[in-house]
Amino acid sequence: MAGELPQGSLCTSNHVSNLIEELQYSLGEGPCVDAYRDNKVVLEPDLAHPVVPRWPAFSPKALEAGVRAVFGLPLRIGAARLGALNLYRDQPGPMSDNQHADALVMASVIAQWVLDTQAAAPHGTVAPDLESGANFHFVVHNAAGMVSVQLGVSVTEALIRLRAFAFRENRLVREVAEDIVGRRLRLA
Amino acid sequence: MNTTREQHIVQALVDIADNLVDHFDVVELLTNLADRCVNVLGVSAAGVMLESPPDELRLVASSSEAMQVVEMFELQANEGPCLDAFRTGERVGHEKLQSGSGPWPQFSKVALASGFQSVSALPLRLRDATIGALNLFSIEQLPMDECDVLVARAFADLATITILQHGTVTEGRELNEQLAGALASRIVIEQAKGVIAERAGIEVTEAFSRLRNYARSRAMLLTDIAQAAIDGTLEPVAWASPTSIDP
Repeated sequence: MAGELPQGSLCTSNHVSNLIEELQYSLGEGPCVDAYRDNKVVLEPDLAHPVVPRWPAFSPKALEAGVRAVFGLPLRIGAARLGALNLYRDQPGPMSDNQHADALVMASVIAQWVLDTQAAAPHGTVAPDLESGANFHFVVHNAAGMVSVQLGVSVTEALIRLRAFAFRENRLVREVAEDIVGRRLRLA
Repeated sequence: MNTTREQHIVQALVDIADNLVDHFDVVELLTNLADRCVNVLGVSAAGVMLESPPDELRLVASSSEAMQVVEMFELQANEGPCLDAFRTGERVGHEKLQSGSGPWPQFSKVALASGFQSVSALPLRLRDATIGALNLFSIEQLPMDECDVLVARAFADLATITILQHGTVTEGRELNEQLAGALASRIVIEQAKGVIAERAGIEVTEAFSRLRNYARSRAMLLTDIAQAAIDGTLEPVAWASPTSIDP
């Protein structure tokens, strides 16, 4: 994650995990977003009946996909905040003490890996290993350039909006990009 | 071989070698290489793929920005002559592509749909390091002339040495960084194409030509011009005027 909005997931274990990541990415809300922003573990053992209702856009869609419990752990090394790890369960219930302890260890191992990998990257770029799960076809970059001018935003922001639009419309990012480049579509 | 062609070849080699001493832009270098292959070897299209991230081939430069040509290269991440040349470290060729069959059924289909009938790929290789492949396409069904193969190999070898900077970088982290840098440059250029296409109200292909012409005319690096376009610091004259025909 970078700045205020999620940049994109590094890897996900199955299509539901992927969906959870995509939802947070497009909606800008969810357990990972909170975990990263507030730098603390976020636990929601019962997404259908939360003690404190939150994530009005994320929760219904996650529930539809079968998610019943969700946990966000910040990925950090000392003061450096790198992102967040998302765990979910298809039954309601908290993590056991052991699971919680394991999750914290996993988060710190992953954070170290992210840091080591990114440290090897040339200044100003994302390390190849970190980017390989988020490879875009060139046409997506062309479209991002166009959208950045059309909406008066940075290219990074344009890429995010492109992905969010594709997700909302349930279309492939590449196809949306082709329509933008072909001037058949314009994002508002 | 006749004198004019010989002159072109020598000039091409000199130009590539110039980059050994000068500050250079990898994407510009490889785009020039691809153009020269088309001019000197009489192939219809040429492209260069590099290994970045590790074990993945991505297009970094091509003689044509046409979408079908670019797509054809993007397919080659999974199947095709570039991948074979890259993996084996040997030249690979097929003078009569057949849709849906042969060594690359899916790739052949797309190549034929774009009008290409034969294909050849040479590894970009220095000693044990193969960093990518040079891909040549022709609309005719012809095997490559042996003379042309030698010339293509000379271009490829010289480009490889230039990218690896005097051959001192051949392994691990530094090599991966350089290749990642080349791909990052390509992405900046792709984004800049979109920015300029929108600003000037033109197609992305034309946007690339204008950026490239401007960079050349000012003796500046293409990637730097592209970054300026994205940052909004590029003067309008860079994109405002139509491209003149390339010599």
